[in-house]
Amino acid sequence: GPALAVQGPACLPEPAEDPGEGSGVPGLLGSVLWMAAPKKRRTIEVNRCRRRNPTNLIKIKRNIDVCPECGNLKEKHVLCGHCYAQVKAETRQIRKEMGKKEGGPFNAPTVETVVLYEGEKPTEKDEGKRIIERARKRPSWFTQN
Amino acid sequence: MRLSLAAAISHGRLYRRLGPSPRARLDLLRNLVTALVRHERLEAPWARADEMRGYAERLIDYAKRGDTDERAMRMANFWLTEKDLIHKLFKVLAPRFQPHPGSYTRLLQIPNRDGTDRAKMAVIELKGNPYPPLVRPRRDSDKTLLNQLLKGYREDSRRQAAP
Repeated sequence: GPALAVQGPACLPEPAEDPGEGSGVPGLLGSVLWMAAPKKRRTIEVNRCRRRNPTNLIKIKRNIDVCPECGNLKEKHVLCGHCYAQVKAETRQIRKEMGKKEGGPFNAPTVETVVLYEGEKPTEKDEGKRIIERARKRPSWFTQN
Repeated sequence: MRLSLAAAISHGRLYRRLGPSPRARLDLLRNLVTALVRHERLEAPWARADEMRGYAERLIDYAKRGDTDERAMRMANFWLTEKDLIHKLFKVLAPRFQPHPGSYTRLLQIPNRDGTDRAKMAVIELKGNPYPPLVRPRRDSDKTLLNQLLKGYREDSRRQAAP
């Protein structure tokens, strides 16, 4: 008798089917591959028109000025990069001193702060404020009020 | 004929979309407000700094009511994640801004970020902070033509008025 019996489908699939129309728009009959592609080569004249029309060119900036303090170039509505870097470095040093004074994290003071440079005494306006000492001469761009 | 609209029309929308969700946007702004109250000067992308500015100024308006006010304390408790800053807000910032009617912050644009994204950056600071000033007030120079003419006119009128 039969050595092995295997369950099979009721009707076998027909092998003469198209391998599937996964590529291209489903639903089109025939094995035609349909995708968008340029019909003709774009001529150099058409290419030049597209590449050179004014909307695609880089715009000229007419808002560049000279910073009156340091002489570097800056945009009119933006802070000068050099001067801002100077102020940022000095602020960083002041914050380091503040960190040393506070000790640990989350020790924000409950009084105002004032920064004094070498050889400066607190005035009567600075009463009740926490004093941060900076070990250098006062820079010309940081006026004391 | 322009067949497409300009893409930057928003028709009355007030809030920018920052972060992955509205709650994330509020958390982001909350972190920025906490950092501003702690450090009093902050460098951030311009859109976030602009968005944060309104929230920070309204928080200071609440703080001006005084720390006995229940609503003010609840607002400060939500918006400041580091709780020692609540003391700083009510004891330092509220008295500092008591004489001012509004606009306690200053927002200035700085050159684009140095990374690959070249983002538009801004520096936002509370007025009256102890750090060096970002913008030096410039007095008009005496050497310009208009100022020289005005000076001459003033001297002439003085010379005529004297005898």
